[in-house]
Amino acid sequence: MTAHELLEKIAFNVIQGRVEAEDEGFDEGLEGQPGVTELVNDALAQGLEPKEIVLKGLTTSMEAVGEKFERNEYLIPDMLASAECVGVAMDILSPHLMKAGVEGKGKFVIATVAGDLHDIGKNIVAIMLKGAGYQVIDLGTDISVERITAAVKENQAPFLGLSALLTTTMRVMEEVIQQLKEEGIRDRVKVLIGGAPTSIEFAQEIGADAYCKDAFQAINLLKTTVT
Amino acid sequence: MIIIGEKINATLDAVKSIILNRDTKSLLDLTQKQASAGADYIDVNIGTGVGSQEDEIRSIKWAIESIQGQVTTPLCIDSADPKVIATGLETLNAKPSMINSAKAEKHSLEAVVPLAAEHDSLLIALAMDEDGIANTVDGRLRSCEKICTACQKYGVPIENLYIDPLVMPISTDINSGLVTLETILAIKKSFPGAKTVTGLSNVSYGLPQRRRLNIAFLHMCIFAGLDAAIVDPLDEELMAAIKTGEVLAGKDRYCRRYMRAFRK
Repeated sequence: MTAHELLEKIAFNVIQGRVEAEDEGFDEGLEGQPGVTELVNDALAQGLEPKEIVLKGLTTSMEAVGEKFERNEYLIPDMLASAECVGVAMDILSPHLMKAGVEGKGKFVIATVAGDLHDIGKNIVAIMLKGAGYQVIDLGTDISVERITAAVKENQAPFLGLSALLTTTMRVMEEVIQQLKEEGIRDRVKVLIGGAPTSIEFAQEIGADAYCKDAFQAINLLKTTVT
Repeated sequence: MIIIGEKINATLDAVKSIILNRDTKSLLDLTQKQASAGADYIDVNIGTGVGSQEDEIRSIKWAIESIQGQVTTPLCIDSADPKVIATGLETLNAKPSMINSAKAEKHSLEAVVPLAAEHDSLLIALAMDEDGIANTVDGRLRSCEKICTACQKYGVPIENLYIDPLVMPISTDINSGLVTLETILAIKKSFPGAKTVTGLSNVSYGLPQRRRLNIAFLHMCIFAGLDAAIVDPLDEELMAAIKTGEVLAGKDRYCRRYMRAFRK
């Protein structure tokens, strides 16, 4: 396989959501063909640049997945399967990227706020960010204001993502921002929020830097406005 | 879940006349329909109940020769007569196959299990012995034990073995469903690697609204770990129920097959 074909195959399998050869894809009958794991290892063995694999194999295909999701052609499991592919590929590629001295896009602390146990959306965002080159520090769900701000501080993270899926817990986001201010680090970190009950208006009201409708919007925002 | 299409069964009148009249076109039609509906194996039972052993041997040869080359789905040779099974396997000429079935009776095991070894065929074996079908889990497990011992003796890998725990009607014994379910669980525990297969519909015999019971029972069997089912693949409700059961039991990663079947 030429380098070009290999990258196309990686992209194709990310869209199909096939981590390994045995996996089923979105389409029928792909079982047995190499999946993302095998292909990424092949690509490295052939001497392809890790950065090129990320850009041409992972990022563009995940954007395609995002578009399919927007059009309701893809459902949640389809997206999770593709996101897992990106996550696994990034685990393989990370050491090579570091060795090659490719700079990441920075640390990104992410959490679902206290009182809220929802994690699907937060996980998708986390894995997408990972695929986009951020060093993601995923604190999990039901995380206290103190723990979130402490993590931002310790890691000197330039980005913080907050998730809440309940009207009762979305208010905690405001407390987090307040706490960041009190600790004098609010201007050092961009705060992105998301979750079903939140909105642009709400983000503005509580003083967040951005509202993200979904994982793809988060990535796009980071690419354009926020940074 | 492996789906074994049950429609080519000469105990059904329509199929009986297909066999007796050597109606190749209808036979192929029945095969193709099941294959495109998602059958992984097509059961072929040519036992019309009339005629001699020689007649059945000629019938199985005809049926397999007719299907071969036209449909690629592997066949499941279904006969109580080891000679008919042997002829079927020889006619298949090393193509992937399944045998339906051996019983845990000495004679049956001695005649059928070596055929599975010789032809590298998957083997369905029924959890019943010389004393018939036990109505307890322990009784059925004793039959399973005999089956596994024979497989080991004749060199059939345990992964190729599909044990049928057998299904009896709940209309005559209210514990029948439970015995089957618990036998599936016990087989999985006692004989790691061995698979399970069954027909389901016997469970509802003698009761109204059988389909409701069949589907509920199918779901319970999937939860217990049933690996294969002998069913009518043209029954859309049942085929849908396999997908709903498997996805709920965590057997359909990322809900792939469920979504493929039902997304708009």
